[in-house]
Amino acid sequence: MSKLWPRFHCSRAALIGAAALATMASGIAGCDKSKEAKPSGNPDDGTKLTLWTRAATEAQSKLLVEAYNASHKNKVELTVVPTDNYAQKIATAAGGKALPDLFAADVIFAPNYTSKHLFLDITARIDALPFKDSLAPAHIKLGTYQGKKYAVPHTLDLSVLFWNKDLYAKAGLDPEKGPTTLKEMAEHAKKIQALGGDIAGTTMGGNCGGCGVFALWPSVWAAGGEVMNAEGTLATLDSKPVKDMLAIWRQLYADGIAQPGSKDEQGPTWVGRFQSGKVGVGPMPSTTLAMMDAAGLKVGVIAIPGPDGGQSTFVGGDVVGISATSTHVDAAWDFLAWSLSEVAQVEVLAKHKDLIARTDLTENKYSAADPRVVTTLKVIAQGRTPFALNFNQTFNDPQGPWLGTMRGALFGPDLDQALAEGNAKVTASLTQK
Amino acid sequence: MRASTRRLGARTGYYTTTTALAILFLFPLVWAGWASVKPTPGSGQTVGYGLGNFANLWNYGQGLPTYLLNSVVVAVLSVIGTVVVSTLGGYAFARFRFRGHDLLFLATLAILMVPYPTLLIPLYVLLGWLGLQNSLVGLALVLMMFQLPFAVFIMRNSFEAVPRELDEAAMLDGCSSFAVLTRILLHAVRPGLVTVGLFAFLASWSDFVVPLILISAPDKLPLPVAVVSMQQRVFGSIDYSVLEAGVVVLAVPCIFLFLVLQRGYVRGFMSGSLRG
Amino acid sequence: MRRDRRRLVGMAYATPLAVIVAVLFLVPLGLVLWMSLHEWPLLGEPTLNLPDNYTAIAHNPLFFDAVWFTLTYTIIVTIVLFAAAFGLALLVQRHRPGVGLFRTAFFLPGAVGFATASLLFYGLLSRDLGPLNPILSALGVIDKPVSWISGSPKLAMGSSIGLVVWRFAGFNMLILLTGLQAIPEDVYEAARMDGAGRWQQFLRITLPLLRPTIALVLILMVTGSLLAFDQFYILTNGGPDNSTTSVVMVIVREAFTRFDLGSAAAVSVVVLATLILFNAMQLQMLRRGDRPEDR
Repeated sequence: MSKLWPRFHCSRAALIGAAALATMASGIAGCDKSKEAKPSGNPDDGTKLTLWTRAATEAQSKLLVEAYNASHKNKVELTVVPTDNYAQKIATAAGGKALPDLFAADVIFAPNYTSKHLFLDITARIDALPFKDSLAPAHIKLGTYQGKKYAVPHTLDLSVLFWNKDLYAKAGLDPEKGPTTLKEMAEHAKKIQALGGDIAGTTMGGNCGGCGVFALWPSVWAAGGEVMNAEGTLATLDSKPVKDMLAIWRQLYADGIAQPGSKDEQGPTWVGRFQSGKVGVGPMPSTTLAMMDAAGLKVGVIAIPGPDGGQSTFVGGDVVGISATSTHVDAAWDFLAWSLSEVAQVEVLAKHKDLIARTDLTENKYSAADPRVVTTLKVIAQGRTPFALNFNQTFNDPQGPWLGTMRGALFGPDLDQALAEGNAKVTASLTQK
Repeated sequence: MRASTRRLGARTGYYTTTTALAILFLFPLVWAGWASVKPTPGSGQTVGYGLGNFANLWNYGQGLPTYLLNSVVVAVLSVIGTVVVSTLGGYAFARFRFRGHDLLFLATLAILMVPYPTLLIPLYVLLGWLGLQNSLVGLALVLMMFQLPFAVFIMRNSFEAVPRELDEAAMLDGCSSFAVLTRILLHAVRPGLVTVGLFAFLASWSDFVVPLILISAPDKLPLPVAVVSMQQRVFGSIDYSVLEAGVVVLAVPCIFLFLVLQRGYVRGFMSGSLRG
Repeated sequence: MRRDRRRLVGMAYATPLAVIVAVLFLVPLGLVLWMSLHEWPLLGEPTLNLPDNYTAIAHNPLFFDAVWFTLTYTIIVTIVLFAAAFGLALLVQRHRPGVGLFRTAFFLPGAVGFATASLLFYGLLSRDLGPLNPILSALGVIDKPVSWISGSPKLAMGSSIGLVVWRFAGFNMLILLTGLQAIPEDVYEAARMDGAGRWQQFLRITLPLLRPTIALVLILMVTGSLLAFDQFYILTNGGPDNSTTSVVMVIVREAFTRFDLGSAAAVSVVVLATLILFNAMQLQMLRRGDRPEDR
């Protein structure tokens, strides 16, 4: 062992440490301008692409990837990430300037990602598509930031009312007619509750902000109301349409017609409650229809109504875009464009009973086969996807202000006060830098 | 009451209490095992008892064997790494005085005091710099790092418990420090080695968040990440049964190793009453 | 000369450890410190914004509630977990037929990763899906299903504590066991000959000689509780109504929900500084009780 070592040990180690730190810091800080892909004639040239998707969207992403890989030279490698950890993984990869070529995102988080420049600007490419005006408008809008388009629709998930036809028949209700107003839904639920046992009239995700947004807001829109302004910077939760809607649900819980256990439902088992066959009617994600059928239930589907009528839906699902750090932009776009083509939309997604993103293809043979799917597709036109940069931290996050506001309104001592106080907190969160 | 009756009473009381507690502790694992084979609507096992959920687990994604292999590779690498580094380090702390002795020990212990989510982004970047991103080796290195405080502590205590006379006698015979370590001390601290190895295995075998963040290639994911992905389905529908099946598959090797090595690690802690 | 050579040899053995700790821990830690001084966007250039990240902590209501909760939780869970671990250790310290099986049963929960154990408990304690409510109903302990995880702040904390005790009691039991078994039998023998009863033996012999072990266990428990995350993130979601939101949850929220890496780094630095201070004090107390002249 060299005698020089102990003498230089401390200072050299310190120098190396400082150098490593500085290099690493500058490496991370250095803005990696996304490199332009080599201009190749054919974008389908055997490139390997990486696509990340949430576990919640795995089924659809997998179908598209498998079909694409089978018919193209390019190969897409799909990584499925647990839904609850998806944002963490994206953030870490972004922090390391190592995002995959493509990644999907919950549509309501898209403004957050686009405002942080995680996606590549693909305005020109989208506008060059022949069917650009038929792409689900809500999704395109959410993927747009400051006039530029960054993402295309990937999957669609709408909130609708499911009703259990068997329970309806048992309770003396017409099993073929679902409720057309929220008040009527409450009436139906009351009759079903009267069946007794562990049958519940209705259910909701009482401790789940995202569930509340998905299931309750359509009733507000159906009544012509708003939950916030178009820019997502000012909340209007203390407006009359919101109060009316929450008052109905508050009463349902107070009377025990809404499943008492659902008051503490954090989200994971919200859908399972209806799937168990013990709930009469309630808002559910449209993508769970096949699951309900498979569980042996006879399910009717109708759009979510407002307190006195109207129809609307929360147009959810995923968008997908090319990441700002990708080096295979042309190949990545080849996949995106293909995924929106008629072949992919009809023969892959619609055939699998999934909703499609192109409004000009809704009359395809697969979707037309199930009238309930037709019903769902028709509501898209009246549906909304609310826009807010800070959507996640305000509405989905259990520590955000929306959940507390919703629970205060539904279960707290004073609905008006809960909404008045909560509205201010929500606005503050929406505008937080 | 006669003394023998009182003793019988005490003994029955003891066994009743301890057995009840044992049942309480075993219950969740037993339930997981039962839930993984019982019929549940919407799972892989809808009618009757059977291994349907395990079949789902087997076929998921890249297939159970791939995930198991990844888990094994990572666990083995991190065990070897942890044992080697902590043994050498423990030896150094116990038997030598050198500049930076205390500082290094405190820095090692400080690893326990940092919330692990905080380190994840810098670690991710760092591994990228070292060319180890998305690799099982990189993952094993990070998992090893998190094990070091405990491992170094145990090994240091184990070495300290061995009387120095042993070292001195060997050195008088002309052994170098390395020979002292390998020929004599390693045998004396074997229980400590077993403990460190077992804990390193348990920790890296079952870790979820670190591999989730550091590994993206779907064929390199270890089992816990795959299991959690499997159970998080379309909006709110959770497949619990497959999670239970995953828990069973993950727990069985640990339980097995555990029972086999029991005598080893109990004594491992014991080597040297725990000093500061 | 020989001492110098010995020092070099010592450093050589310590080098692998030093390299790992320096590269994989100190460098990332340094980066966290660096990040806390900047507005750090996910992609793009960071800009120095000292001391904004730190002053913003004072305006974060979630942070202070989380600190309060984390402290309360730490005190409660340390008492409960310590009592459980110590009780178990006392139960299994003497050799009796079957004691090995009991020890294994108590330690077995350690075979499951903590994140997975939290998921397991979510299903176990679920009001409508789990077995707990049916069993307790059958035993007549409750007459209505109870929402163990989110029914009330107390229930939520109770469930988390239950999870932690289940998972970690065995581990800590083992540490205490070895401390107990290291006390020589003749010390007890001498005391018995002097007429000391069981309780007196426990107070005068067991507890004092066990002090260093107890201190170690307490340090591990307290540090672990102050940094608690998985059980709240996975089991209770920080609820109901933010009643079980811990400090590390606030850090994770800053980093991965708000995507504000600089702010997350700043809170982390504050937490780390607190812990270093706290553990330095504890280590002092540990050292003091352990010096030969104190025995």
